[in-house]
Amino acid sequence: MHNICFHFHISQPFRLRTYRFFDINQHHQYFDDYQNSYLANRLAERCYLPANAMLKELIAKYGDKVKVSFSIAGSSIHLFQQYCPEVIESFKELIATKKVEITGNTYTHSLASLHNKTCFMEQVKLQEKLLKEVFKVRPTSFCNTEIIYSDEIGEWLHEAGYDVVLTEGARHILGWKSPCYLYCNPFQTDLKLMLRSYRLCDDITLRFEEKDWDGMGLTAEKYINNLNKIPDDAPFINLYFDYETIGEYHTADTGIFDFFKALFSQLAENDKYKFITPKEITSMKVPCSTMHAPWPISYSGDEKDTAEWLGNDLQQEAFNQLFKLENLYKKSKNKVAKENWLQLQAADHFNFMSTKWFAHDSVRRNFDVYPSPYQAFINFMNVLNDVKLQLETNPEKKA
Amino acid sequence: MKVLMFGWEFPPHIAGGLGTACYGLTRGLAVNGVDVAFVMPKASGDEDQSLIKIINASDVEVDPRFSPFFQQGGETTYIQVNSQMIPYVGLDDYYNVINQIDSGVFISGNKRRYEFSGRYGNNLMQEVDRYAEVAAEIAKHEQFDVIHAHDWLTYKAGIAAKKVSGKPLVVHIHATEYDRSGEHNINDIVYGLERYGMSEADMVCAVSDLTRRIVIEKYHIPAEKVVTLHNAVVPNDKTVEREKNVKEKIVTFLGRVTFQKGPEYFVETAKKVLDKDPNVRFVLAGDGDMMPRIIERVAELGISDRFHFTGFLRGTDIDKMFGMSDVYVMPSISEPFGISPLEAMRANVPVVISKQSGVAEVLQYAIKVDFWDIDATADAIYGLLHYPALSKLFISKGKEEVDNLKWENVARKLKDIYTKVVNRS
Repeated sequence: MHNICFHFHISQPFRLRTYRFFDINQHHQYFDDYQNSYLANRLAERCYLPANAMLKELIAKYGDKVKVSFSIAGSSIHLFQQYCPEVIESFKELIATKKVEITGNTYTHSLASLHNKTCFMEQVKLQEKLLKEVFKVRPTSFCNTEIIYSDEIGEWLHEAGYDVVLTEGARHILGWKSPCYLYCNPFQTDLKLMLRSYRLCDDITLRFEEKDWDGMGLTAEKYINNLNKIPDDAPFINLYFDYETIGEYHTADTGIFDFFKALFSQLAENDKYKFITPKEITSMKVPCSTMHAPWPISYSGDEKDTAEWLGNDLQQEAFNQLFKLENLYKKSKNKVAKENWLQLQAADHFNFMSTKWFAHDSVRRNFDVYPSPYQAFINFMNVLNDVKLQLETNPEKKA
Repeated sequence: MKVLMFGWEFPPHIAGGLGTACYGLTRGLAVNGVDVAFVMPKASGDEDQSLIKIINASDVEVDPRFSPFFQQGGETTYIQVNSQMIPYVGLDDYYNVINQIDSGVFISGNKRRYEFSGRYGNNLMQEVDRYAEVAAEIAKHEQFDVIHAHDWLTYKAGIAAKKVSGKPLVVHIHATEYDRSGEHNINDIVYGLERYGMSEADMVCAVSDLTRRIVIEKYHIPAEKVVTLHNAVVPNDKTVEREKNVKEKIVTFLGRVTFQKGPEYFVETAKKVLDKDPNVRFVLAGDGDMMPRIIERVAELGISDRFHFTGFLRGTDIDKMFGMSDVYVMPSISEPFGISPLEAMRANVPVVISKQSGVAEVLQYAIKVDFWDIDATADAIYGLLHYPALSKLFISKGKEEVDNLKWENVARKLKDIYTKVVNRS
C-alpha cells in the first residue's frame, strides 16, 4: 500500500509597480494595486474558488479517504484579505472539515532561508502568527519557499519545533535512492523529510496538455497506471503542486478539474492507496535513511538548485543589498517600511531578474510584468533604496 | 562565386552606417570564398582592398550613345552607326552638355567620364542616373554571377547591370524612406526608386525583421522574396582605453542629429536624470538638421552646464568618446538596424536602445525601451549608473555577445541566398 500525499502551494506575492528613480524619497507606493487586485481575483475565479469547491465536494463524498495539505504564503493571505476575502472564507471551510492541513511556510514567500537563520526565523514566526490569527492553526510540518531545503535549514526548522519538512526529491542528492521513502535530516534525525516525486508532478504541471499520452491527453487512469508502476514496498508518493496548476496553468477547458476529480475519486476508491497529510507522518514510520543536502535544493529546473533566484550577478547584488538592511529592520520603528522590506524578499522579484533562460517561456514566468530582467532589477533596486530611506526614518517622531 | 556589388560609400570616408556594413559584409564574403568587385561612385584610393576589388565609377568611361534609358516596360538602346553625327540632342542631353563644366563630366571623343561626388548632395538624383550608366558599362566587361545593390541610390545601377548581363539581382535594404522621413514626409521619388529596385530584384535582403515588415507592408513585396539578414560588427583588435578627464559619469548619444535618431528624447531624458543626480554629464556627438532645435531646448531646460556637443566624430575620436562613456543611448524613432550600439558594447559601454530598432532583435545584454518613454529611458540610465552590478554584467557579457555577431556568419547566409538565385535563373 502507498501513502499518497497531495500538497498545494499558494505563493502569490505583492507585485511591484513601475517605480522610477525620481520617485525615490518622493512617495512610497511600491505596489501595483490594479495588477494585484486583477491577478488575485482572476486566480480566485479560475482556480482557488472552484478548486476549493471541488475538494470540498470530494471530502464530503469520501470522508476520511481524501486529504490534502496546503502552504499559503502570508503575502497571499494578505492579498486575499485585501482583494478577495471570499477565498479566505473558502479555505476556512475546508480547514473545518479537518481533512485539510495547513503547513508552515514563509511569511512573504521569502528567500530568507538562503541568507541566514535570524531572517528566516523572523519569516517563520510571522507566518505562524498569521496562520493562528486567520485560520487558528499551529503548523507542525513545514514547506519552505519553492521547497528550498538544506541540512542547515532543516536544523533551524527542527529547533523551531517542526517535525516534518517537505522538499524536492532531487536526483543529484538522492542518487540511486527513491523519493518514495521517508528520510531524515542527518544531524537532527527527528526531523523527517518527505520528498517530492517530481517526474510524476511534472506529468501534470508541464505535460498535462501534451497529446502523446498514447495519442490522447492525460487521464486519471493513465496517471494511476503510472503510479502503479512504483514498487509495492515503497511506502510514500509525495506530489506537490502550485495550486494554480488547477485552472490557471491549465485552464478549466483543458479538463484539469475533471482530471483531478477523477484522480482523487479513483485513488480514494482504490485500497492500494491511502491519502495522508504531512503531520500524520510523525506517528507513522521510522525513516529509512538520512538525506544529506549540504547545499540548498529547490524544485527549480533540472538542476534543482537556487540558480533561478540567485543565478546571476544582478540577483546576487539585489539579494545582498536587501539583506544588508537586516540590522536596520531590527532597529527601525517604521512599521510600514518593515513590512515592505519583508515583501521585497519574495522569490518572485528575483525570478523576474533571471537570465537563465533568455528565450524560455517557463510556467514560472507566467506573471512576469517586466520587459526584461534588467528593468526588473532596476525597479527592484529603486524600491529597495526608498525602503532603506524609510527604515531610517521614524514616522511617529516626525509627527 | 563572384559578385558585382554596388554601394555608395566605403570606409574610411563614410557618412553613416551603410559604408561600415558594406565593409564588414564584403570582408565576410571574402572569408567565405566569394569574390567581390565593389563599385562605388567615388573611391579615394585609401580604401582597404586587401580582400576585395574596388571599382571607382568616376574612372569608368561610358559612351552616352550606348546608355540604356529606363522606361516603363523595358529599355531602349541607341545603336551606334558608324557616323560622327548625332541626330538629336534631347533636352536632358542638352542640359548635360551645358552642365558638364560645373558637374565634372569629362568627354574625350565619344566617351565620357563622370566625376561623382559620392555624397548626398543636391545633384543626388543626377548622380544616381549616371551611376546607372556607369554600371551598365561595368557589367559589360566584368565577369560575375550575381549582382548586389545596397540601398536605393544604387538600385538603378543594379537594375542596369541586370539588364545588360541577365544575371540575378539581390537588393539590400539598410534603410527605407519610412525610416528616414517618417510616415508623413515620404519622398515619392525615393519611394518609387526603392519599390522599383525591390520589384526588379530576385531577392530582397532586409537588415532586420522590423525592416522586413516595412518592405512587405509598405512596399508590397511578396513575403517569400524578402529575407532578414541582420548586420554584424567587425571585431576590434585594439582595446578602447578607459580614459576620463571628469569625475562625473558620462552618458553619450552618437549619431546624426536628425528626426530619425530621436535626439530630442535624449535631451528630455537628460533633464529627468539631472534633476535627481547632477553628477552626470550628457554628450551629444553628431551633427544634423535638428541641431539648432536641440541647442535651444538644452538652453531652455537650463542644463547647458551638464550637456555637451562635440559635432561630428569619426575614427579614433569615436573610440575616445566610447572610452569616456559610462552609458550609451540610442533613442532612435525608427532604426532599420543601428550598428553603433554594437560598437559601444565592443568598447565595454553598456547600452540603452530603443525597441524601434533592428539591433534590439539580436541583443540580449541591452536595455530596450520605447523611444518615446523618457521615464523608462531615464530610469534605465540611472540604474546603469547607480547599480554597479548591472553595468558590470553588461560589460562582461555584452562584449562576448557582440563578438559572436560575426560578418562571416552573415556572409555565409548571404552566400546561400546568392546560390539560390543563381541556380534559379
